[in-house]
Amino acid sequence: EDLKLADFQPPTHFVVDSTYKPFAATIADKTGGAVTVTLYMGGEIGPGPVEQYNRALEGVADIAFGLPGYTAANFPKTLLAELPGVITAENGTERILANLDKLSDEYKRVVLLGLWNNAPNLLFTGAKPIRSLDDLKGLKIRVPSRNAGLVVEAWGATPVSMPASEIYNAIQTGVIDGAMTDATTLKAFKLAEVTKYITQGMDTTMSDFFLVMNRDSFGDLNEDQQKIVLDAGRTAAINGNKAWLSVAAKALSDFAGTDGKEVITLAPEEAAKFNAASSAAVDKIIADADAQGLEASAFVKALKGN
Amino acid sequence: MTPFVAGFVGIACLFALLTVRVPVAFSMLLVGFGGYWVLEGPRSAGGVLLTESYSAISNYNLIVVPMFVLLGNISSAAGFSRGLYDAAFAWVGRFRGGLASASVLGCAVFAAVSGSSVATAVTLGKVALPEMRRLGYAPGLSTGAIAAGGTLGFLIPPSTGFVLYAILTEESIGRLFMAGVMPGLLLTALFMVVVWLISYFDPNAGPRGEPVALADRFRILGRAAPLLLVIVLSIGGIYIGVFTPVEASGVGAALVILLAVVKRRLSFGDFRDAVMSTLSTSAMLYAIVIGANVLNPFFAVTRIPATLGDGLGALGLGAYGTLFVIILAYIVLGMFMDGLSMLVITIPIVFPVITALGFDPIWFGVVAVIVIEMGMITPPVGLNVFVVRAVAGDVPLTTIFRGVAPFLLAMIVGLLLIIAIPGIALFLPNTMFG
Amino acid sequence: MRDAIDIWSARFEKATFYLALIGAICLLAIVAIVTLGVVMRYVLGIPILGVNEFVELTAVALIMASLPFCTARREHVAVDVFERILGRWGRFIGDVVAYCLSGFVMSILAQRAVLKALDAWQWGDATNMLRMPIWPFYAILAAGAALCVLTFAVQLVVLLLKGEK
Ligand code: NA
Ligand code: NA
Repeated sequence: EDLKLADFQPPTHFVVDSTYKPFAATIADKTGGAVTVTLYMGGEIGPGPVEQYNRALEGVADIAFGLPGYTAANFPKTLLAELPGVITAENGTERILANLDKLSDEYKRVVLLGLWNNAPNLLFTGAKPIRSLDDLKGLKIRVPSRNAGLVVEAWGATPVSMPASEIYNAIQTGVIDGAMTDATTLKAFKLAEVTKYITQGMDTTMSDFFLVMNRDSFGDLNEDQQKIVLDAGRTAAINGNKAWLSVAAKALSDFAGTDGKEVITLAPEEAAKFNAASSAAVDKIIADADAQGLEASAFVKALKGN
Repeated sequence: MTPFVAGFVGIACLFALLTVRVPVAFSMLLVGFGGYWVLEGPRSAGGVLLTESYSAISNYNLIVVPMFVLLGNISSAAGFSRGLYDAAFAWVGRFRGGLASASVLGCAVFAAVSGSSVATAVTLGKVALPEMRRLGYAPGLSTGAIAAGGTLGFLIPPSTGFVLYAILTEESIGRLFMAGVMPGLLLTALFMVVVWLISYFDPNAGPRGEPVALADRFRILGRAAPLLLVIVLSIGGIYIGVFTPVEASGVGAALVILLAVVKRRLSFGDFRDAVMSTLSTSAMLYAIVIGANVLNPFFAVTRIPATLGDGLGALGLGAYGTLFVIILAYIVLGMFMDGLSMLVITIPIVFPVITALGFDPIWFGVVAVIVIEMGMITPPVGLNVFVVRAVAGDVPLTTIFRGVAPFLLAMIVGLLLIIAIPGIALFLPNTMFG
Repeated sequence: MRDAIDIWSARFEKATFYLALIGAICLLAIVAIVTLGVVMRYVLGIPILGVNEFVELTAVALIMASLPFCTARREHVAVDVFERILGRWGRFIGDVVAYCLSGFVMSILAQRAVLKALDAWQWGDATNMLRMPIWPFYAILAAGAALCVLTFAVQLVVLLLKGEK
């Protein structure tokens, strides 16, 4: 049995060595070569992030890497983990994996192998430094998701939605003032070229990534093989989280070390203003989710570990 | 059947289907679907058909195709395109083959609002071919100039080719657009040289036009103002950052419609025809993109691209040797395949190889687009040649292919110049974007 | 008999034209909303959130409503370099093959799109920002593909009854 793993990121992406190669090796090893994994990077079997979930669903790929945020309507509960102050970048993946059973309702159409969080989304701006909440007022900021849009709105800025691949042009030409995105995009989308300031220090959103598997492909495996694949998926989530955090940290320090670029870390009293504004929005999102019967408060509490 | 063998059987089937005149789009759909069925089973094959069709049609950046086709069709219907053509003729018509040169120039200017080679060739062909016939131009020269000039639509920004390349490689669209400007002007100049040479050696092929007084030339240029205004606003808007390429295409189309209505140049019937023809052309182009999107995963699971890509690296030809092999392969593929499909299928294979060899990805985008343009006018499948035959009426296909040959040589010369002096492509993006 | 075929095939082509009018509305709507987005952002300073989602979904309706029209007008690009070599019977058989196979692959697409529309409806698939339901657009995809199948069928019947054009 050969499993096709589809990812839209380029074949040179760090996820290959850090996450996929160990994932494939573990599965081949533990199943005695009965199950293998072949990588299709760069959107070889279907371009772009948007349709990744559907590709696993419809069986184009056996396993697909994707972002639940691209099909947010299907994953309202999963995406609670993206909200500011719910998890930390470092222990978030651990907390998510420990509480996967609470998400089972959202993964009935596919099999969830791994779910992990990215480095925090920071505020990238092209020309205007954000040193206080007032600086952000009225700026047009590209947001990666609906929830992030609500947070940015709570901060007093105007959220703009556009594909990640368009951020470069949009900042460079001034269509937007900045973008809320993670530090790995400095390199992946060359945003370092058009970004002058990065603001960090407030509680902020964190995008989730997942590896999902087609149900029929999973059903074709015997029970032992299924367990091996699931375990390898959990390990991949932990490896993926570590890789993203370390690449983001390096990209951020490279950026800070570049002439004419500045990483602004908010003073504690300013960060508190951001957090006060966003926590009101977060409370509302959670309350809305509770009202929809998602047991959101319980899930968030479990993620926070208290 | 091993996946590798299945891949070659698939290619053979594709050629067989094309030969018996199954439309290009459906040939690709069939081979992609059938091949995935053989290798991965019916459920996955249906999945590819569904998700990749939907993903292609709902691709945000691809919407520039119908927008720019609409812009071109409305310009034609309202007579703006003809105004522009008259202006170009007033300035260069008195030279040998001046009308053909004017057509090439008109193509270049129209290319600056149209992202598609087909739209450029159609629009200019409708206006220029009747005028050239009236003045006794040789059909080979006139159709060849339009078919070749039309390919400039793909190189001079905005360009659906660059947009697709940017999507596939995650390069910046703005940079690619800027990189296309100087090579586009270079090819325009080379095409005009070709026209001049042909008319020099065969004066009957392109007789001289009447000279136009300088004052008249400016007056006629003034009549071209509407379309020039749209060009300046929409293209200029992208350059100075007022809007994104998608927005430019939408605003450009809106402006042309508005101008045509305000100047009372557009009857309802003409408007309806322009819109309906836009829909048909768009559906045709999207069908081809869908076909390529469905064929792509099949080729990926055959591992032929990966194997060839590895083989390319293993040949040990060095940077320029490998580049030469890639260009040669593109020219051969381009004889049979549609340009956009070729980009989709080959760029994921070739791009990593090229960047690993140290070539500039933006520069290679320009090289790839020029080679793909060549494919649009090489036999047996030359989309632009088909389009020109459609608007020229009774000119035999072989005459057009023969007429296009010297322009093909000019493109090779242009390509060699850009390989020798990468600055032709990179100077503008590097000075503008740092 | 021949006249009847002509009349019915002309009526069918007219029907695809009316369907394409929906595509025309979509096309003009996209032009309008994209332009409005730019105007709102610069003149009023209010960016419209989710223009891209509107454009993406409307494009599905635009293209799928136009595809049967394009097919009925036989505007799809085909390679006709071998036209002479094929001969009269070669062309005839080629056209039969083209209609059958193209119809076949589009019928699979229509069938999968129907299933997907039902699935998307059942699970409430929706867009991110505007929360527009996605199932109607798969339904449009299915309808457009099915009408293409019908178009190929009509063209095949015309070809078989009347011979090559
Ligand atoms: Na162009
Ligand atoms: Na060709």
